[in-house]
Amino acid sequence: MTRFVFRALTRVRLLLAITVPASLVAAVAFNFAAAAPIDVDKTVIDAQDQRIAAIKKVFPAVVAVCMQGGQGVGSGVVISPDGYALTNFHVVQPTGPLMQAGLADGILYDAVLVGTDKVGDVSLIKLLAKEKGKPFPYVKLGDSDKVRIGDWSLAMGNPFSLAMDFTPTVTYGVISGTNRYQPPEGKGLLEYTDCIQIETSINPGNSGGPLFNMQGELIGINGRGSFEKRGRVNSGVGYAISINQIKNFLGHMHAGIDTDHATLGASVGTASEDAPLTQMVVKQVLDGSDAERRGIQEGDQLLNFAGRVVTSTNQYKNILGIFPKEWRIPVTTRRNNERRETLVRLMGNIATEKETQPKGDGPPPPMPKLPAPKGGGSSEAAKMYVTKKGYANWYFNELERDKLLAEAKKHGDFAATNGAWTAEGKYEMGERKGDFRFEITEGKDADPIVNLKLNIEHKLAPLKDTDRRLQAEPIGSGGLMLALYQWHRFLTVGAKGFEGAFAHGGTEPFYPYPADGSTPKSITSLRTDCAVLKTKHGSTEAKWFFSLKDHSLVGFETFTDKEREDPCEVYFSDYKAVEGKQLPHRIEVRFKDKRYAVLTVSKYTLGKK
Amino acid sequence: MMTRYGTLILAAVLAVPFTAMPVRAADPFNELAEKTNQKMVKVFGAGGFSRLNNYGTGIIISPDGHILTVASQLLDTSELVVHLYDGQRLKAQVLAVEPELDAAIIKIRVEGKKIEEPTGLNLAYFDFAEAAKKPLAETGDWVLALTNTFEIALRDEPLSLQRGVVMARTKLAGRRGVFEFPYTGDVYVVDAITNNPGAAGGALINRKGDLLGVIGREIKNSLSDTWMNYAIPVQAKVDIKIKETVKDKEEEKTITVTMPDFVTQGMQGKYRTVTRPKTTVGEGGYHGIVFVPNVLDRTPAYVEDVVPGSPAAKAGFRPDDLVSFVDGEPIASINVFNAWIKKNTRSGQVLRVEVRRGEALQTLELTLGAQPTRPQPTQPAPMPKTP
Repeated sequence: MTRFVFRALTRVRLLLAITVPASLVAAVAFNFAAAAPIDVDKTVIDAQDQRIAAIKKVFPAVVAVCMQGGQGVGSGVVISPDGYALTNFHVVQPTGPLMQAGLADGILYDAVLVGTDKVGDVSLIKLLAKEKGKPFPYVKLGDSDKVRIGDWSLAMGNPFSLAMDFTPTVTYGVISGTNRYQPPEGKGLLEYTDCIQIETSINPGNSGGPLFNMQGELIGINGRGSFEKRGRVNSGVGYAISINQIKNFLGHMHAGIDTDHATLGASVGTASEDAPLTQMVVKQVLDGSDAERRGIQEGDQLLNFAGRVVTSTNQYKNILGIFPKEWRIPVTTRRNNERRETLVRLMGNIATEKETQPKGDGPPPPMPKLPAPKGGGSSEAAKMYVTKKGYANWYFNELERDKLLAEAKKHGDFAATNGAWTAEGKYEMGERKGDFRFEITEGKDADPIVNLKLNIEHKLAPLKDTDRRLQAEPIGSGGLMLALYQWHRFLTVGAKGFEGAFAHGGTEPFYPYPADGSTPKSITSLRTDCAVLKTKHGSTEAKWFFSLKDHSLVGFETFTDKEREDPCEVYFSDYKAVEGKQLPHRIEVRFKDKRYAVLTVSKYTLGKK
Repeated sequence: MMTRYGTLILAAVLAVPFTAMPVRAADPFNELAEKTNQKMVKVFGAGGFSRLNNYGTGIIISPDGHILTVASQLLDTSELVVHLYDGQRLKAQVLAVEPELDAAIIKIRVEGKKIEEPTGLNLAYFDFAEAAKKPLAETGDWVLALTNTFEIALRDEPLSLQRGVVMARTKLAGRRGVFEFPYTGDVYVVDAITNNPGAAGGALINRKGDLLGVIGREIKNSLSDTWMNYAIPVQAKVDIKIKETVKDKEEEKTITVTMPDFVTQGMQGKYRTVTRPKTTVGEGGYHGIVFVPNVLDRTPAYVEDVVPGSPAAKAGFRPDDLVSFVDGEPIASINVFNAWIKKNTRSGQVLRVEVRRGEALQTLELTLGAQPTRPQPTQPAPMPKTP
């Protein structure tokens, strides 16, 4: 069986030859119908009215993605009033970072690539309004987990680049299957996991276009089909990338990231291919993977992944395939009749990492040279495109990062209190309790020094004590003093303090434990969705988690040795004002699936320089 | 008093549409798809090479695990396997085959039990005898198809659902590859693209969930050279003329083969396959070019694809080539090409073919091969005689 992605438009001649007689037939049929009107049942009329209403609602937001100059290459759909639109990666592959986008109003807008998910075959682009600030028509994102086989659906787009005025073509059909798996289209790219199978007709040019439910909610992005002998036109089997998968990557794409999918760090397969019922087991665990550090072993039975029961290889690939790398996902395994739930940090998709290396024969057509032709309407778009390794468009990363920082600053601006900080209060470490105190100050030569008193006194000069064992002290904390130093620097110095990296990291789930110290029902119930900032200072990488609800800093992780060691996890809660600035008064420190300590702060002293 | 009556009448009027019309234009098919899927299996058997797929679909027609499917090469194996809707993987065995109906009955085999013994499975199933008593679907009727098209579903993954209308009830001038289609009775032609790889043996049902027919194979209409989407009705009936020698005299006899008889007797292991000599037709030499869909009288002879390893592949034909001349004869259309090959060639013959590739003409030397042998399903294993 061969599967092609709708890519090039070939044999247009022949297609035109077919179209003409077909339309003649249609015209004849219409005349006939007009001559003898039929009394149509009200339910049929109602269904039709409902359908027309749904189409009317979303029609203006459907995009015809074009090369500069207006030649059609695919479809898309606007998802926000400021012009962000979704399409396929394989649609914007030939256009490069600057493209044009036609809407049903007949206007061709300049557009720029924002973010990309190559494995998932999705790209986010931004249309530029002709009048500054004028809102675009946009559609609402639906919930593709609610889509069921047999539901009606609407596909829209610009098949065969038919519409010269960009008005979308609408097709109507039923959902043929849900949670379908379609393997990568060569080299690990364009893998369709957990996707929606439709009989709703999609053809070359429909790629990147929206799939709607009958309420006009976006449930997927149409992208490929199964063909064999019939040629690269609709063969009754099309696939749409589910919108719920796209939602997982949307934060990354908004931040201009060239995102990657994930592997567990362990291979999983059926215990026996011939058995009457399948059982999924861990076949091999990768050395140095987080799965290994979490204690997952060869032979463990995989029961549940990200809250979904795993019963087949396809389903496992489906569930794994919808997450970006580095996300922490709850995994339930069984060994000797003992169930265990643990959070695993997903690894990057190695095949893709190889693929994105500049050398090697990439899939045709190649990305065109940069920068794209200047002049005319594209100059504004060209200003919104900045290259950087690992990013689809660095311009949007800076934009989103600064927006996030501005929001976070509303909870407190610490730029003026950039001197020594101290905090005092009570600590709790298992059965042990007592007074704690930490101080971040400057020693001789203006070098930072962290003093931490728990049951005993600890001291670290983070820039001088570069030995990893020292940095990981106190023992069992994963490097709490280093973490506190990084936190102080993050709040008081900001971007300038992180010479290695200071970037928006998209969105990730974060799992703060209950503040009352109780055991959670399940790890899944702890999930808090966060926007992430990624930083690097010295040899220390850190991730800062901001709640999507109010942009407060709910915690962070510092890695002393990202490849080999778990990070020190710090969770903040009980925010109270200190000198008019919000600071956490409960700090939980975790390392390697265990709680190291809880610090209850009674007093902060924020010094100035 | 009046108002109370008025309310009653109004209520009665309102109630009518709901009771009289259980299915409505806008209703989704969720439950129907779910229920029907439980009465279906994915079939895995022989194939997996040269475009013969090793997967198909089957319809459960008894709680004991009798399955109706298409008489394809898929069944030509002792390792026949089915996947039930709940993910169970079970072995199966062929009970009966009837090429005249292009149908076969297989039965699930449970470990440790003989094929004629009850399996004790108690599966959801279609009552075939009941379905065959119902009237045929009419042109314009809504239909749904459930198939394992393109082997998308494995284990507990549900089959693919498609919907459409019956376009026609007609005889099919079809052929599979280069062979005449064995079934000569009426088929349902549907407007959905149902007959893809793996779909054969799938169910065509109406909106109430009644079984209407068995989705057929991938077959091209020999008149238009386009792919057909059809199903063989559950009521299928074929009259076959057979020459028989009775007392040294050759007599022509008509046998009627029906799907209900085949299913009833086949499930009991009593069905005897109709045998008649197959006529071979001069098909000309084999080239292995797959042309674009031949939708017009004069569809230009554009190459859509080339069968791997075929004479055309060896000669260097490529997709998008336009066949323009064969041995100096201008080729105006696919029909002209096919007619010429059929009339003038045989296996081993070397042809000089000029194709237009891009803007240039290119000459290719095509050595025709022998027509591939017809894929025939195996006759069923001999059944133990049951009293």
